[in-house]
Amino acid sequence: MSGTPTAREKLASQQAALLNALLANGPAPDGFDERRIDVERRALLAKRRGIVRMLGPDIADTLGDRFQPLFDVYAAENPRRTGSRAREDAAAFAEWCRAAGELPTGRKARWKFWRPN
Amino acid sequence: MAGIADLGVGIGWRPEIDLTVERLPGVDFVEVVAENLHIGHLPESVTLLLDRGVPVLPHAVSLSLGGAEEVDLARVEHLGAVAEAVGAPLVSDHVCFVRAGGLDSGHLMPVPRTRDALDVLVANVRTAQRNLPVPLALENVAALLEWPDGELTEGQFLAELVERTDCWLLVDVANLYANARNIGTDPGRFLDEIPLERLAYVHVAGGVEHGEVYHDTHAHAVLPEVLELLDELCSRVNPPGVLLERDDNYPSDTEIASELAAIRAVVDKKRD
Amino acid sequence: MATPTSTQGAQLSPEEIGFLAGGPGRAAETALARLLDAELVRVARDGRVSAVHQNGHGATTSLEARVLKQVRTPVWFHKVVKNAAKDQETQALHRRLLEAKLLRRSRKRIVVWWLLVAIGVLLGLLSLLMPALLFGAFAFLWAGLYLRGRRPLTRAGKAAVSGTPASDRVFAVARYGFFGTVAGQSVHELFELPKGVVKTASGQRKPAKRRRTGGSGGSSCGGGCGGSWSSDSNSDSGGGSSCGGGGGCGGGGGD
Repeated sequence: MSGTPTAREKLASQQAALLNALLANGPAPDGFDERRIDVERRALLAKRRGIVRMLGPDIADTLGDRFQPLFDVYAAENPRRTGSRAREDAAAFAEWCRAAGELPTGRKARWKFWRPN
Repeated sequence: MAGIADLGVGIGWRPEIDLTVERLPGVDFVEVVAENLHIGHLPESVTLLLDRGVPVLPHAVSLSLGGAEEVDLARVEHLGAVAEAVGAPLVSDHVCFVRAGGLDSGHLMPVPRTRDALDVLVANVRTAQRNLPVPLALENVAALLEWPDGELTEGQFLAELVERTDCWLLVDVANLYANARNIGTDPGRFLDEIPLERLAYVHVAGGVEHGEVYHDTHAHAVLPEVLELLDELCSRVNPPGVLLERDDNYPSDTEIASELAAIRAVVDKKRD
Repeated sequence: MATPTSTQGAQLSPEEIGFLAGGPGRAAETALARLLDAELVRVARDGRVSAVHQNGHGATTSLEARVLKQVRTPVWFHKVVKNAAKDQETQALHRRLLEAKLLRRSRKRIVVWWLLVAIGVLLGLLSLLMPALLFGAFAFLWAGLYLRGRRPLTRAGKAAVSGTPASDRVFAVARYGFFGTVAGQSVHELFELPKGVVKTASGQRKPAKRRRTGGSGGSSCGGGCGGSWSSDSNSDSGGGSSCGGGGGCGGGGGD
């Protein structure tokens, strides 16, 4: 009926090793083409970055050219966990940037109030 | 279910292009991403299309049926509930895994084409089927990398999957093209090996070449080579439906309409 | 991007006609209408406007260019209009129309308006002593209201507006706004836009150029905007779409 436990267990460790390489800068598993691992890593990163940019365009605009390099560091340090949501990812990145002093903390919103218009 | 009803030419419904999809001429059916719909709270646009009699097919992206983890039944149930909410004749997901080792790839990852991986996939698909109110179709994904020690070709792998689970196939010709480009899949052999009588419908999508690899982005125009593969498929079987997927960087209504027209031209081509 | 059409003579741009017919909000609506007409922006049912291309190409006026830039990421329809109405390009448009003597300067009108209101109020107070003056008070206040509602157009401005082709859907927006009607048809229908999508402030108010009037009429949402958009259909979808967490089934592309 179901796959034998050994087949599942073997597959589980293979898949976990691959995702660890792709998402958390782990070592490339045996037998994979390292260049392709790198291509896939960058593609997954670009997809994730695009989603965070879409969900938080203001943060991306504020960071400007720093957005991509900062996000890429954040992403490797914080691979997406099972069950996490894209919005949480975007919020966590913003928080990470604030903690790193790359984004102002909280004062900006109040500034707007004093602006004309 | 004896066969899939004739679906025609369709497009993936996305909230960003909802009005476009409603306005476009010649949209015979649409597909919705099941994970983005909420039961009892269908988007107005989807309801409007249903009222017009346009079939709406739920397409899932998160079942991770090729994954080593046990199937998440909540996700399967949601897919089934969406199918019932839109009165869909079938649902679909991919031959892939999404999650492993506590990490979420955020994308459709290829599975190793080994007997062991196939056993796990078959078991997962059967679990999903038991918990779904309608038939399940499974789609070939685009891979940027190849697992080592493959024991089957992609066509053999899918053929055996169909044989053992009686699932339907959703053939994505853009993914097939991507795999031909990136991991050396032989498209002709793939089409020879899969059971075309179990074809539910076909996906067409755009992508872009970047360096040595082709990226199946769904955010660029459909390549002529992909339409050629569609033509190749149509020369073997009359597909019940063909659907254009566009997920980002949406072009103008006119450009989308012309992509649909190009697809229709291939499908409608007189065959001997 | 070209500078806007000359404000001299009969050949006014849709934006200019829009400003004359309905003030800065209408000029903004018109710029958006032109971009919609050229398929350079799209609107979704949730009311968000987004640029079709990210390169900003295709704008024919400076205001259009500003709108295109603004909607590189999706922005609510009413916000696009509101922001464009306040844009410096719209102010520049206003100055050009004044210089071309198509619009009257509002300062003179304001002085007259205050005078009428002041006399009206004064008469109103005096009517406590002499009730017959109440009629006079009403008369002055009514005149004040009338003047306020009246368009500040010169004769040439009026002629320019009435001489525009109503058959053109962009000019239809310029003259009547997305919420107006032309030949028995709602203007937003000419763009195949459902009514709920095109909530604009200017569509719901008098076409006169308004000063800042608090919440009741200026460029705020005047009551209608919040509701239907607040339940952002994307908000709980985990972000965009699909494929195990967003972004669709497509891959991430190169870099």
